[in-house]
This record gives sequence, C-alpha cells and structure tokens, in this order.
Amino acid sequence: MMTGGARTEAPPAGAAGGQGRPRRALLLGAVVAAVALAAWLLSTGLQRDPTAIRSPLLGRPAPDFALRTLDGDRTVRLGDLRGRVVVVNFWASWCAECRVEHPALSAAWNRFRDAGVMLVGVDFQDDHPSALAYLAGTGTGWPVVADPGSRTALAYGVYGIPETFVIGPDGRVTAKHVGPVTYDQLVREITRVLPEGSGRQPGAPAAGSP
Amino acid sequence: MADQAAASRPARAWARPAVGLAVVLLVALGALAAVAARGPAPASTPAERVHAIATGLRCPVCRDLSVADSPAPLAQQMRSQIAEGLAAGKSPEAIRLEFVAAYGESVLLVPARRGVGLVAWVAPALLLAGGVLAAVLAVRRWRARGAAPAASTPSAPGTSRADKVLLERALARFEEDPP
Amino acid sequence: MDRLGRYALLLALALAVWGLLAAVVGLRRQRPLAVESARTTAYALLAVVAAANGAMLAALLSDDFTLRYVAQNSSRATPTFFKVLALWSADDGSLLLWNLVLAGYLAAVAFRFRRYRPEALPGALAVMYAVAVFYLLMVSGPSEPFATLAAPPDGRGPTPLLQNHPLMAVHPPFLYLGFVGLTVPFAFAIAGLVSDGLSDRWVALTRRWTLAVWCFLTVGLLLGALWSYSVLGWGGYWAWDPVENAALLPWLVATALLHSVMLQERRGMLAVWNLSLAVGAFALATFGTFLTRGNVLLSVHTYATSAVGPMYLGFLVLVLAGGFGLIATRAWRLRAPGRIDAVLSREASFVGNNLLLLTLTFVVLLGTVFPLAVEATSGRQVTVGGPYFRRTTVPLLLLLLFLAGVGPLLPWRSGSAGRLTRRLRLPLGASAALVLALAAGGLRNPAAAAAFGLATFVGVANLAEIGAGLRVAVRTGSRRRPAALGALLRGRRRYGGLLVHVGLALAALAITASSTLARQTDLTLSRGATAGFAGYTLRYEGLRTLRQPQRTVLVTDVGVAKDGRDLGRMSPSLNLYPSASEPIGTPSIRTSPLRDLYASVVGVEQEGERATFRFFLNPGVTWLWVGGAVMVLGGLLAVWPTRRHPAAPRPAAPPARRREPAVVDR
Repeated sequence: MMTGGARTEAPPAGAAGGQGRPRRALLLGAVVAAVALAAWLLSTGLQRDPTAIRSPLLGRPAPDFALRTLDGDRTVRLGDLRGRVVVVNFWASWCAECRVEHPALSAAWNRFRDAGVMLVGVDFQDDHPSALAYLAGTGTGWPVVADPGSRTALAYGVYGIPETFVIGPDGRVTAKHVGPVTYDQLVREITRVLPEGSGRQPGAPAAGSP
Repeated sequence: MADQAAASRPARAWARPAVGLAVVLLVALGALAAVAARGPAPASTPAERVHAIATGLRCPVCRDLSVADSPAPLAQQMRSQIAEGLAAGKSPEAIRLEFVAAYGESVLLVPARRGVGLVAWVAPALLLAGGVLAAVLAVRRWRARGAAPAASTPSAPGTSRADKVLLERALARFEEDPP
Repeated sequence: MDRLGRYALLLALALAVWGLLAAVVGLRRQRPLAVESARTTAYALLAVVAAANGAMLAALLSDDFTLRYVAQNSSRATPTFFKVLALWSADDGSLLLWNLVLAGYLAAVAFRFRRYRPEALPGALAVMYAVAVFYLLMVSGPSEPFATLAAPPDGRGPTPLLQNHPLMAVHPPFLYLGFVGLTVPFAFAIAGLVSDGLSDRWVALTRRWTLAVWCFLTVGLLLGALWSYSVLGWGGYWAWDPVENAALLPWLVATALLHSVMLQERRGMLAVWNLSLAVGAFALATFGTFLTRGNVLLSVHTYATSAVGPMYLGFLVLVLAGGFGLIATRAWRLRAPGRIDAVLSREASFVGNNLLLLTLTFVVLLGTVFPLAVEATSGRQVTVGGPYFRRTTVPLLLLLLFLAGVGPLLPWRSGSAGRLTRRLRLPLGASAALVLALAAGGLRNPAAAAAFGLATFVGVANLAEIGAGLRVAVRTGSRRRPAALGALLRGRRRYGGLLVHVGLALAALAITASSTLARQTDLTLSRGATAGFAGYTLRYEGLRTLRQPQRTVLVTDVGVAKDGRDLGRMSPSLNLYPSASEPIGTPSIRTSPLRDLYASVVGVEQEGERATFRFFLNPGVTWLWVGGAVMVLGGLLAVWPTRRHPAAPRPAAPPARRREPAVVDR
C-alpha cells in the first residue's frame, strides 16, 4: 500500500546535528526529569495500603453516643464516662475476624477493669438474636450496645470491622485500630493514656490471651 | 453543466456564510460545553436532594462507588442519615462536613475546590488552553509553508480557470481513496 | 504437571533471550541469517508458552491441588466452564495468558514478514523479544504460577465475583489482545528511531496493526462495560474506576494515532508526533498493567495482593525513558516540515482530533493519579471519582463528537466552503429536527440536548457520506457483481472509518440517554405487595433458594406488568459463596430496544417475607452495545487486507462526490 509520500530520510549527518545538540540535550534532560518524577510518584503508591483510610478523629473529641445494651437493661452514655479511659470496639456476629480478636479484648478487660478502664462493644449491622447468641457463646463480660441505623458507627468513620478506638480521660480519641487488635496493642494504647497511680493490676494477664 | 456554472461563480461568495456558520456552531458548542461542565441541575424533591448529596460521597466500604449508587447496607444507612439531616434543616455542606469529620477528606468523591484540590479542577482547562495554543500555532506555521510553494507554482499558459478547478477536483478525488 | 509448566516457562525464557540476541546481532552486524533465526524462534516460543498454558489448564481441569494457584482459584465444585476461566481470573494465571498473547503476536509478526522483510524487522523483533523476556521473567520469577504446596482436600474456588457470569470468558482475553498488541507499533517505532529511517512501510505497518489492536481494545472495553452492567448490579456500565481509566487511556491514544498517521501518509508530516503516540500508547498499556497488578490504587479490578509492583514500575520507567529518550535524541533526523493548504481541510480536523484526544488522555490520567500525588506530597487523602471525570471529559467529548461529524465532510487539502455547506445541510437539519422534537417532548437539560443533536449530526453526516459514495458507484459501476458491495470493499478504508463514526454516534446517543434520562428507586416490598415505577407495576412474588455445588442462590421473583398487561418475571438474585462474607448480587435486566428495566435485590429479610430492591429504568442502553459492535465492524472493514501486489490498475473509478458525476475517465 504505497502512497505518494516520499521516504522520510535522515538529512546529511552534519546538517542540523550541530545546531540541534544543546536543544536535544535539553529535551533529553526534560524527559529524564519527567520520568524520574513519575517513577517517584508511583513508587510512593506502592508503599501504601490503598484500603487504609486515615482517621481524622485522632486527637479530636470522640463523638458522643447514648446506646442501649443488647439485653436492653441500661443505656451507656459516653459523656458519663468522662474521666475514664474508654475502649470502643465495633464488631458483629457475622464477622470472622472479630472472633479472632475476642480473646485479646477479654484479656485486656480482665486486666484493666479494676483500673477504671471501660470497654464498650458496639454491634454493627447485626441482627439481635445472632448478636445475643454470639455474646452468650463467647462469654463477653463487658457492656455491649446496639447501634440502630449505624449512626454511631458513621460518626466514628467505621468502614471495616473490627475497629477499635481508645478514648482518653479527656474525651479525645488517642488511637484507632482497623482489623483484629492484639493484646499487646491494647495494653500499649491503654497504658499510654491511663493516669498514673490508678491502681493498674500488675503482673499476670488472664489465661488464654495471645 | 451545473459544475461549470458553480465553478464560474466566485468561490468567495460561499466562503463567508459557511465560515460564519461554522463559527456560530462552534460558539454554540462551546457554550453548551460550558453548561455541561457546570454540573447537574439543582435538585428539588427530598429524594433528589438526598441523591444529589449522595452522589458526591464515596461509599467507604465499596470500591469506587458513590453512596448513591452503592447497594451496601452502610451506604443505605448513610443515605438515611442524609435524609434525616436534610429534614432537620441542615445544609448540604454541613452534612458533607459531618461525614468528612468522621471519614476524612477521602469520603468526598471529588476533591474540594479549595487548596490542593483546586489543581485538579483547574488543570484540565489549562491543558486544553495550552493544547489549543500549540495546535493553532502549528497549523498557522504549516499553512504558511503550504501557501508559499503554491504561490510560486507557475500555472501553465492557456489553462483556464475551469480547467484548474477540474484538475483540483480530480486530484482531490484521487487522494480520497489511496490504493 | 507443575514441572512441565515450570520447565516450559524456563525454556521459553531461554528462547526469548536467544531471539533477542539473534535480532540484535542481525541488526548491528547486518546478518540476514541471524534475523532469520530470530524470526523462526518466534514460532518455537509460541509453542512452548502454549504448552505452559496447557499445563496450567490441565491442572485446573484435573483438580490438581498440589499447585498453589489451582488450590487458590478453583475447587471441585466449580463448574468446568469456570475452571477454564480460572486460568486468567487471578494474577499469576493471567500473566501466563499475557505471555501467550505476546508470543502469539511475535509469531504473527514473524509470519507476516516471512517473505517481505522491512528493514525495521530486526529492530522490531528485538524490542518485542525484550518485552517478552521481561514478562517471562515475571512469570518465572516473582509470580510463580506453578508453585506447589501440600495438597489441600479442596480448593478455595475462584473469587465469587469472577465466577458469576460467562462474560468473564471474553473480557480479559480481548483486553489482553489489545494491550499486548500495542507492543507491535511500539516495536516498529523504536526500530525506526534506532535505525534513523522510517520508510513508507512504517506508516502502513503501524496503521494496520494499530487498527487491528484498536478493534480488540474496543471489544475489550465494551465487554468490560457490559460486565459491569450485567454483573455488578449497581445499574451502570462505567464507574471511572482507576483500572477502567487505565484501559481507556491507551485506547484514546491509539485512536489519535490512527488519525494522525493518515497525515503522515499523505503529507509526510508529523512523523515524530506519531512515533511519540506509538510509544505513549504502549507506555500507557504498561502503566495499566502496573496499576492492575501492583495494588497501587483501590479498584474492583486489582488482584488481591501482589508483591511485584516494583518490577512493573521498573519496566514502565524503562519503557518511558527508553522510548521518549530515543525520541528526544534521535527524532530530529526524521522530521519533515509540515505543510497544509487550508485551515478548512481534513488535515486541520485531524489536528483538532489529536488535540482533543490527547487532552482527554491527560485529564483522565491526571484524575487517576491525583490521589496518589496529593498523598505523596502532603499526606492528605483525597478521592477523585465519577463526578470529576464526567464534568471534565464531557465537554471534550462533545467537541470530539462535533469533529467526527464535520471531519469526514471536509475535503483533503482544501475545499470550497460552499461544498462544505451543501454537505452540512442534511445532517444539521436532521439534528436540529431531533433537538426540537426532544424539547417539545419535555427535555430541559441543555447538555443532553446538545449531545443528542451532535450524535444525530455525526450519524447522519457519516451515513450520508457512505450512501453518496455507494450511490455513485451503483450508477457508474460495472454489472458483474453488486456494484455497491464492490465499491464498499474497494474503498474499505474510508467506508470502514465512516462506519466507525456511525457506531460512535449510536453509542453517544445511548450514553446520553442512559446518563441523563435514567430513573431509579429503592423499594422494600412484602411478599405479594406491588409498587409502581416508571409506568410499570412490580409485584414481589417470593423467594426461591437454589443450592448449587459452589454456592447458594437466593432468587427473588418480581412480576412485571404494564398497563394491565403481564410482561413476565424478573429474577434478581443474591449469591452466597462460602468464601465471601457478603452476598454477591446478580441483577435481572429486561431489555428492549428503547429501554432497559433493571432490577437488583439488595437484601432479604424474614426468610423472604420482605425484600429490598433497587429498580432502574435505563433508556437506550441496548444502543450502546449495538453502536460498539458497529464501531468494531467498521474497524474490521477498514483493516481487512487487500490482495497483495496491486500491480494492475484498479478496475473502476473511485466513488465520486455527491452530485458530481465522474469527470475523470480512467
């Protein structure tokens, strides 16, 4: 399929080469700089987890809530707990990873409850019977509340349970953890904000903690 | 023949209305394009107002869907929270800010027009402007180069204007379908 | 089986290295024998890579769970059809398919040039072998599809979303045929740069291969949209997902290249620009690979986890630096002064076409990487989603649509504006009539009106051009065979292009209708209850549970009636897979020429006593698929090869312009 155009040939070697050299060097430099910039940019993308959303709540006052417990006998109000360290854990009975972290929560609860630390479980998008069955089956000792319409979960920016928030005595969020939390992580975050001399139970953690 | 009659009429008589028509079309197009760029019309019914806010929020548990489009339960709950907020008289901006306070800026499906987000909105216009400038300059340079040798081509003596037009047409037809 | 696969891949890698060396030696030392060896090695490479793919396929079909890939992506309960598809449903396996397609293109190039050897062939082969070496390294090294483990009793099964629909069969292969195919124009571009000469053949070569690859890419994109619409259940077909965008970018650049290469063909200009486009298209395809497999951005497409991101990034850097570096340093030798005769010419419209397509490319690219850039520089997290892309691309697309209508009407070189006006009359009249009819019918959205008008303008203008050409041929042609068909085939480049524009117009109509006139509603119905939506009466009839080996399906039946007439039943369903924590919904679509009634079930309560649905009325979606098919048909027509050695003069005159009888008698 030859057409009328002529072959695009290289002009005699010396013709435009001499004058073009600085311009070509500039072009090459521009190409190298642009590619280096692109490479740096894309490499930063490799180092981050695209599903992780950084919480804007860190350091800010925790959103208040007043939710009824699952068995319905009382209301847990965050405002009433000012002055204590509060750990808020979002979970559900259909969530496999929540079962994984349950022993850690239990161990932390046993260790810190006498120091005044409060652990509150918030049921997320669950149905009542399944949640109650889960609690009975796992022996959960701390108060667990229902969150109708997920208003509290939305206020806390929950997107992938289990999610655990640590709230200091001043009411500010000091830590957020997405995914199953370990006993060591809980201990570290709680002791960080626990006021001195509040009678922390020293020594042996409860049996069965990871 | 109709062709020869048309050829003898000066071609320039057609040029201005045609160019004018093209210009009018382009201007109208540009205006409509600007309207399109402005975004969707403001909503009226409560459902539409919820939808309008929900289309600007990203569903946090989905990949790439807006809260309006997502069937996920969390998105449904967000939509009902938006509806409650609107019914309570909150402004769309306040409702959006509530979600930003909980989930961060990334819950907004498009970058805010302040600060660094402005770059995302301004850049396309700049790109287009730059491209148009480059294209116009290039076309003018090529046109000048194209006109110069044509002017210097001597026409063979005795070639009538009609012959020239016929020749041009034949050349054009030949080029229409290369082998 | 795993040993067969692994050794086959290593052998393939060795063959590719041999081919690369032979091609380089043949190029540098001008040794035809070495080039011939490089050429024939391609056939061997294809055979060996096919064997590796065959080994994986056999392992999948025989439930060989000692292979980690089979254990993770298949199970005993998976239907055979989806076992075959499992070959490309996950990262490692799809890389095997990628290598197969690449080897196929190498063999195709080797076969195509078995008699006629363009002087760019050694260089092009060398580049293609180098790319093959990279991808074979990836599949032999970090990816390891043939890794083994202690066989579990049963496999995990494919990702639920990927075994829900047979479209999974064709969407990735066609996309790969498109992406991988862009290696060919890239290879010939690099070869031309390295050897300091671009023969005329370069243009013809690039154009034909790029057009064929463009057809594959178009099919792949359409199938992706169809999959999104029919499977994902959110009611739309394009989500501006980062990976979707990454697949669109090379398509846009390839379209630009297809147009601007015609300028090089006729006027010898824009050689360097076309080289840049060829390099850019391949670079964007590589960028797409990086995004999909490198787990960089959140997308429904990204393969679950992959540790090979840095290697893909490295390859991308190599392609960009090598390709554009060569252009920066060597392209000055290939420049030819550009010249055009008039602004009102098809040449100028191609400039506009390239301008708009490249601006679109940069805008979509900017939107896709903007979150990355912001996080890298300031640490903040932002999202760039659908509304941004719609607001920024729609104006550009409207302008592009305008050019697709006006361009074919403009003559080459220069034409009298009078002729242009005459040819504009019918399309403008038709589009004005449509806009007026729509406005009378209640359409108030000016952008939608503009889009409808423009789409009509484009469709009528291109159809009129086809009709005019064929009509003249019928009048003046011979009687031996249908003159119209003969003319169509003789002028297939032009008619193919016009047909693509017609398809584009149809697709534009469909996209405008479904984007601006769609309606949706959320309904929670008890069993037996009815509700009205968009003129239809919908009745929730009940829940059926189907137990299949690999999943449990909850099917809700919805009776549809209109004006009292029973129209049948829709059955959206929820699929519960053991490995997924949430059910995957499958929508039910009632298709008709003008509109789709689309139902998806969102939740089921109380053993099916109540169900929550989302219904959509999507006007015109059928025409998107039809328009896309017409586009592909037009592309196929344009790319269909002519008989070789057209030494004899053509038997009849080419189709003449409308109302002007053939003056030149050949």
